[in-house]
Amino acid sequence: MTPVLLVEDDPTDFRLIQRSFNKLSDAFQMFRLTNGDEVIDYLSGEGPYENRGAYPMPAMVLLDLKLPRRSGFEVLQWLRRQASGLNRLPVIILTSSRHSADINRAYDLGANSYLVKPDTGAQLDELAAQFQTYWFRLNEFPSLRPELAR
Amino acid sequence: MAKPPAVVPPVAPVSAIKSSDVFRRLVDAVSDYAIFVLDPSGNIASWNPGAQKLKGYLANEIIGKHFSIFYTAPDLAKDKPAYELAVTSKVGRFEDEGWRVRKDGTRFWANVIITRLLDDEGQLIGFGKITRDLTERRMSELRYKLLVQSVTDYAIFSMDPGGHVTSWNSGAQRIKGYAPDEIIGKHFSLFYSDENRKAGLPETVLRTAEKEGHFEGEGWRIRKDGSRFWANVVVTALRDEEGTLTGFSKVTRDLTDRKLLLDELKRHSAELELRVRERDQSNAELEAFAYSVSHDLRAPLRAISGFADAIREDCGQQLDQHGLEYVGEIIAASRRMNSLVQDLIEYGRLGRISAPLASVNLPNAINEARRQLEDVPPGSLTLDVPADLSVCAHPQMLTQVIFNLLSNALKFHKKGSVPQVRVSAEERAGDVRLNIHDHGIGIAPEHQERIWNVFERLHDRDSYAGTGIGLAIVKRAMDRMAGSSGVISAPGEGSTFWIELPRGQSK
Repeated sequence: MTPVLLVEDDPTDFRLIQRSFNKLSDAFQMFRLTNGDEVIDYLSGEGPYENRGAYPMPAMVLLDLKLPRRSGFEVLQWLRRQASGLNRLPVIILTSSRHSADINRAYDLGANSYLVKPDTGAQLDELAAQFQTYWFRLNEFPSLRPELAR
Repeated sequence: MAKPPAVVPPVAPVSAIKSSDVFRRLVDAVSDYAIFVLDPSGNIASWNPGAQKLKGYLANEIIGKHFSIFYTAPDLAKDKPAYELAVTSKVGRFEDEGWRVRKDGTRFWANVIITRLLDDEGQLIGFGKITRDLTERRMSELRYKLLVQSVTDYAIFSMDPGGHVTSWNSGAQRIKGYAPDEIIGKHFSLFYSDENRKAGLPETVLRTAEKEGHFEGEGWRIRKDGSRFWANVVVTALRDEEGTLTGFSKVTRDLTDRKLLLDELKRHSAELELRVRERDQSNAELEAFAYSVSHDLRAPLRAISGFADAIREDCGQQLDQHGLEYVGEIIAASRRMNSLVQDLIEYGRLGRISAPLASVNLPNAINEARRQLEDVPPGSLTLDVPADLSVCAHPQMLTQVIFNLLSNALKFHKKGSVPQVRVSAEERAGDVRLNIHDHGIGIAPEHQERIWNVFERLHDRDSYAGTGIGLAIVKRAMDRMAGSSGVISAPGEGSTFWIELPRGQSK
């Protein structure tokens, strides 16, 4: 099971996304977080998230921009500032805004990719399938630990 | 080169210059001044060449006559000659300027000094009179006064060193409202407002003029009737040969009209700026509104569409024919709503965004639009546009326009046949016209105007899908780019939709 963080505050959108991902051949374990503070707590291992058995480090994060508490942008900013290797964690923005200002800002802050939530279920299925193929068949993942000097 | 020392002629015998004769010689030599004596009654007792020149009389014509013969009728009526002699007898001298009359009746302006002549015992033996002709100077003074007086556009007046008005011209009367007899002698601070007076502005004006030679400024002044006018003022200090301040001259111009015009202009431009700011703000609000519409409307749409799909997929087995149909309708409706929202956003955006124009390569724009089209039957679209043809346009808007037109052209074909669309370009007097010709169903003349309106559709949804906004977007975008659009069509004979834009620079 590959753990993936899905940061989505809208329960309907979450349900639809989860449904599409459940159709995939790979087994993804989706951890749903609903606000920016939770993401940071999860990735920092704060509170309940200290238990890495129950809450493992994800392979990547699907991040919405419009979130309560800290926004997607703030989460991204925080993440890329971490020096411990955590900063390499791949982040895909999955949001409803097609605004070029948001797209540019996301890439400025270090997002790895920017996806707009599609309008239909069929398109969402396609997105999930492509997501799997590209990131988990083709892409190489970085280490999230500090580099050891050689 | 040194000059040889002047040779001094031998001095004339002392007796000649010292004789009592010499003064008679003096008087007889002077021809620029009238110098003569009167007996105690005022009769003329002597004459000189100057007197002859000035007054015209020969000696033998005038000696013995009374000197009042030289005076004008008004002066005689006032008994001036007698008065002058009386004063001279008492005081010793009398100086006067005034008109005198010549033998031929013409007048001249005379400067006159009468002096009392006494014998060694102090008895009056007569009067000495010296008269100078100052007509020239008087005339130029008069001409100058006339000039100043006649100027009505400018208030020109003088003040004494204390700031009291000493002269007044018609311009001053016109601008400030006071007649000369109402204002001469009064202090010029009368023309200032109470606040200006309290603030000491009149004093400042005079002191500046005195110190620096002149004062120039603009400000509100008060007329006799209390009304205000905007004045341009120049005050100049007047000095005599020794440099002593003798008074001030003031020239005032009424610039109220100009000031009011300038003030109004400022007000208008301030208002314009306010409007622009308001419009920018209103645009910003519309942008925010459109953004939230776009964002927030589509979330429920996603839910409707997504869960309808989910029902079909996960529960399709449990649904009967009707159930599946209904779900299908829900999905289709949500897709249409999505299109509508997208088109509305696009239409609204066209009104607000700034549209900087650039030279856009036409084939590139067409290919970009083509790329975005879905399900284009192979061979249905042919392009006949020169590779280097450019138009002056907004790149994204142009692509959107072409996309909409191509989309229509490919859509409105006869049922059962394959669409055939040809894109061509022609130059028309500096502009480029892009023609999109289809062999489709055509448009009846009575509809060719309406189709460009928002939400106008000619067919029901079952025949041809569409939001009814596509052509409205085309028209609005062409308007924003200062181009034009139109259609040539007939039912059953296909349509040629065209757009026209200025030619761009070919690269």
